[in-house]
Amino acid sequence: MALSMLRRFSSLVANGQKCGITRAFSAAAGSGSTTNETSPAIRKVDAVEKQNLIEFGRYVGECLPKFVQKVQLATGNELELLIAPEGVLPVLSFLKDHHTCQFTNLADIGGMDVPARPYRFEIIYNLLSLRFNSRIRVKTYTDELTPIESSVEVHKASNWYEREIWDMYGVYFANHPDLRRILTDYGFEGHPFRKDFPLSGYVEVRYDDEQKRVVVEPVELTQEFRKFDLSSPWEQFPNFRDAPPAIEDVPLDKPAGGEPPKK
Amino acid sequence: MASPGAIIKSTTRQVKPLLSLDKSEARRRVLNLYKAWYRQIPYVVMDYDIPKTVPDCRKKLREEFDKNRHVQDIRVVDMLVIKGQMELKETVEIWKQKGHIMNYFKETIEPKPQGFLSKFLAGHE
Repeated sequence: MALSMLRRFSSLVANGQKCGITRAFSAAAGSGSTTNETSPAIRKVDAVEKQNLIEFGRYVGECLPKFVQKVQLATGNELELLIAPEGVLPVLSFLKDHHTCQFTNLADIGGMDVPARPYRFEIIYNLLSLRFNSRIRVKTYTDELTPIESSVEVHKASNWYEREIWDMYGVYFANHPDLRRILTDYGFEGHPFRKDFPLSGYVEVRYDDEQKRVVVEPVELTQEFRKFDLSSPWEQFPNFRDAPPAIEDVPLDKPAGGEPPKK
Repeated sequence: MASPGAIIKSTTRQVKPLLSLDKSEARRRVLNLYKAWYRQIPYVVMDYDIPKTVPDCRKKLREEFDKNRHVQDIRVVDMLVIKGQMELKETVEIWKQKGHIMNYFKETIEPKPQGFLSKFLAGHE
């Protein structure tokens, strides 16, 4: 009985990676199978899936050589395309409309601030393809004053996400239909997710009994220069000592003749 | 010996314009924004019912624009114009409240003590 159920289950997941349910079943069946699982807590990366992702990434890189600067795999099976900021619309519409991609769903747009870089902001588009049950991440970069083309005409969902990024980081999205604040209060100055925005903010808000209204005053807290040393003196994950690197490059075949001659 | 053109090319950077392509265009945008605010002020005073007169508000408007008088970079000017435009829209549509308008006047903020004695009495330094 248990064995037949196990068989049915494994036929269900035969094409996917081995999931936790089948593992639990094989333990319950007590078949004493020769599973060579030494560390079940570590998520396994399916080699076939990974190879597919690498090939797909390479294919996209070949299709859009002008915009795709780098293709990489993060944590084993998350494909990332690093593109030039001019290529946001072409790359997103390619990924949405091409028959072998169909990333029609924009899950999220994220931002990142690294003040040390020449282009300090990173804009990250997370896409989902329901057709192929696959996700992809598109990353681009900008700075405080360089506008990025808005992706609303490709994905309607990006309307509010881009407003969020505008509000939190101050990245301007050109041709956005309705770019205005979404999270901060009216009259708020500054962009709170920038690394140079102090944790305590610049102003505090209180109700003033004399004025009979809410007033905004500069905050009196002084804040030390923030630099956190997060590394610990002892080793935390010895099992991961020889884990594969978090980010692997997918080599792109450069077109023959190398770089086009500069004029 | 590098040619002078090469040196200029290496020091200046080609940047993507935000809105304006040259100084005069940026200036025109600033003046347009100023005029739009100037014409809106009587309605703002009426709609928000603030205890200020129209000349008071116009003086404040001038002050807010003069705060950024030193800005030369076209892209920074454009960014300030964009933000001013958004503020104007928030005001016109009455998304703001009375307090938000009155916060421009900063009436409850006490000025920082300037002289030695007043600093001493206030407990600073």
